Amino acid sequence: MTFSGELLAFLCLALVAVIGGVLLLNLTKVVHMVVALVFTFISLAGIYVLLSAEFVAVVQVLIYSGAITIIMLFGIMLTRHNDTSEPKGGALKKIFLFLGVLGFGVAVYIGIYNLDFNPQATTLHENNTEQIGMALYSKYIIPFELTSVLLLVALIGAIILAKNDNKKEADKE
Amino acid sequence: MENAWIIPLFPLISFLFLLLFGRRLKENSGYVGMALTFLSLIYSLVVLFDRFNHPTYKAEATWLAIGDVQLTAGFEVNQLNALMLVIVSLVSFLVHTYSKGYMHGDDRFHIFYAYLGLFTFAMLGLVVSPNLLQTYIFWELVGVGSFLLIGFYFYKEEAKAAAKKAFIMTRIGDVGLLIGMILLFWQVGSFEYDAIFLAVEEGAISAGIITLTAILIFIGAVGKSGQFPLHTWLPDAMEGPTPVSALIHAATMVAAGVYLVAALFPLFTASETALMTVAVIGAFTAIFAASIGLVQTDIKRVLAYSTVSQLGYMMLALGSAGYVAGVFHLMTHAFFKALLFLAAGSVIHAVHTQNIEEMGGLWKKLRLTGPLFLIGTLAISGVPLFSGFFSKDEILIAAWTNGNPVLFWLAVIAAFFTAFYMFRLFFMVFTGQSRSEMKNVHESPKVMTVPMIVLGVLAVVAGYFNTPWFGTFLGDWLVEGNEALGHGHTEGPAWIMIVATLVSLLGIFLAWLMYGKKSLQRDWLSSRMPITYNMLYNKYYLDEFYALSVVKTTKGLSVLLSYIEAFVVEGIVKGVAGIVHGLGKTGSKIQSGQVQAYGTVAFVGLAVLVVVYVLAGGYLK
Amino acid sequence: MSSVPVAAYLTLALILFCIGLYGALTKRNTVIVLISIELMLNAVNINLVAFSKFGMIPSITGQVFALFAIAVAAAEAAVGLAILIALYRNKKTVNIDEMNDLKS
Repeated sequence: MTFSGELLAFLCLALVAVIGGVLLLNLTKVVHMVVALVFTFISLAGIYVLLSAEFVAVVQVLIYSGAITIIMLFGIMLTRHNDTSEPKGGALKKIFLFLGVLGFGVAVYIGIYNLDFNPQATTLHENNTEQIGMALYSKYIIPFELTSVLLLVALIGAIILAKNDNKKEADKE
Repeated sequence: MENAWIIPLFPLISFLFLLLFGRRLKENSGYVGMALTFLSLIYSLVVLFDRFNHPTYKAEATWLAIGDVQLTAGFEVNQLNALMLVIVSLVSFLVHTYSKGYMHGDDRFHIFYAYLGLFTFAMLGLVVSPNLLQTYIFWELVGVGSFLLIGFYFYKEEAKAAAKKAFIMTRIGDVGLLIGMILLFWQVGSFEYDAIFLAVEEGAISAGIITLTAILIFIGAVGKSGQFPLHTWLPDAMEGPTPVSALIHAATMVAAGVYLVAALFPLFTASETALMTVAVIGAFTAIFAASIGLVQTDIKRVLAYSTVSQLGYMMLALGSAGYVAGVFHLMTHAFFKALLFLAAGSVIHAVHTQNIEEMGGLWKKLRLTGPLFLIGTLAISGVPLFSGFFSKDEILIAAWTNGNPVLFWLAVIAAFFTAFYMFRLFFMVFTGQSRSEMKNVHESPKVMTVPMIVLGVLAVVAGYFNTPWFGTFLGDWLVEGNEALGHGHTEGPAWIMIVATLVSLLGIFLAWLMYGKKSLQRDWLSSRMPITYNMLYNKYYLDEFYALSVVKTTKGLSVLLSYIEAFVVEGIVKGVAGIVHGLGKTGSKIQSGQVQAYGTVAFVGLAVLVVVYVLAGGYLK
Repeated sequence: MSSVPVAAYLTLALILFCIGLYGALTKRNTVIVLISIELMLNAVNINLVAFSKFGMIPSITGQVFALFAIAVAAAEAAVGLAILIALYRNKKTVNIDEMNDLKS
């Protein structure tokens, strides 16, 4: 492994991503947690660029750092968060779970730590968006259209879920 | 003839159509059923006449291929099939017509017609099947149809019980049939009738297996055709509506057993023992049921026992190698028994009781039903010139020439009994004084009498297709091109016919003395021999015997088991349950409804599995 | 070719996945649980994109599927939030340990 700019960039980005994740676990205020995660999302976008996936990187920034974070913030603001106290008696569970996650991580790591597929030269970075577009509108046109249906359903479903009770309560009153 | 497969489809269409739209059609659904069965009748007749001039037609297609074994489905038109098609569709059509009047006003009119369609479909399908597997499928469908029809008045406890009884009793026989079928398949490697007969002819199957399979299949027929000792469902099946009784008893259900034996006749002839079994069971059933019929008081039950008895005759004929005689009697019996049942239905319709003790003097009131009933009675009693005479004569000749005088004399006595109790029935119902107030007795509507008239004509003329006087046309045709079935006609000594005639006339005369002229005491039998009378009246206590032996034993066993269950099993279970209960209490604390707790447990379990997998070598090999 | 081996990307994804998983199973606040799930989805996306470049047969398909996953994740977030709000209206809380309707 030679030391190169790419490696440096990867290390920085990975570090930011992991720190963001750890902060998510350790911060106490909900809003802070979300903001910590924004760092993770953005650094992941950088990782995508390193992986010659510029379009995915842009989408990552737009959707995750933009839309989803904002939605989550709305969710936080619409609900009350006055308690920051940790639940009582959860320590055992946490240790239990921590060990489980750790074991899982180690087990998977053993499987992947010297995985190599003899990387070949790829052309993914050349006109990346165009390639995605070609694939998306030819080979994957049906899943693509289905995704649009899914999004529509999610949209309507979300509206109904969030609205329904209001009406009922109004009826009650 | 190539399109004979379409015949069973008409009633099926009727069934499906009425199931879907019957509710809206109400009583008009009768016309749908009638029209469709009429189509089958026409088609069956066409096929029958076609069959006179053409050889057997058979068509099949591969249904399933399992390895090298091919299961086929198809249809076949040989002489027996063609004849049966006509009998079944004709009787079914007449019953359809008759039911229009009989079932009038019933809430579930359309359901009744739908069931009739299903039943007819099953029977027609059974008749055209070219292989045992297909036969078995339709055989069971016939069972289902009869179950539905017998239990048609399911709100009546007896009807419910009778339907269950019919189903279970026939099922006992079906197990025999199934085992026999599987044995045959194992030996021959095919369900095809032709392949089976070929194997039998070539001697590819050992004699022991032939006997065994033949007897097993005969057990199936015993269940379906109500032979001793599985006959008890048949009289109980009278709980169904009367047209159903006519259909079950004349043309479909019970004929299925006889048909099966006839269709597999070459298999039976290959084994002396099997034939002997068939003949003995047949003869015994004939006399056994006839003796019960002597004292019954329910009009339909008398007819039911006469059916059992006549079926015994058919079996006796088949068992005595009298293929033609058996099939011939099957045909004539279909007509006169259907006639008798429809006429009985007409009587019941008029007087609203089934007890013959309460009837009497109906001759003048039912101007049409009476003579028709008389024709049926004469036919079944074997009075010369009526159809039953010729077919019964054939059977007696077959029994005699087969060289077993005991069976022959049993059959003669049964014929005497038959004549006696049938005329006892006739005299009690139609002559003498009205035994209770029957003011508004009236003849049935046309829709009911016309089918009876048709059957009445047939009950007379059906015999002339095969007589020793004018030529044995039917018999010659039936065995044409198939030596295995025996001769078209067997010459017997002339005195047999005279004996048969004398015996039936004697029976009639005795019945007339006792019930018509009343010069003999009616209770002659019951007063002299109360034990015999009671025994007969209670059908030899066979139901009670079954109740005691089978049902009681089973019940006793289940009581015993229930105690074992209560103390032994329960004890163990309670111990286990206590432990589990304790565990459960602990567990219920874990069952907190916390999604995350569940997720944690699930995930940690997965993690443990993965870790163990890795430690055990896993994917790093 | 590339100085960063595929294993590094996969390891990063693994770490993020584990963090997301731990968060999803321990945090009391439902919003954070949802966000943790998003983090797990993101880890999967890294894998998809990494294999798209370094896999046995490099192709664009991995990236396309990452896009699909993002779309589904967005839909999931929206519906999840809607459910959360509906729940909040009924229960006046967003703490996941108080939403134990599965019990009894």
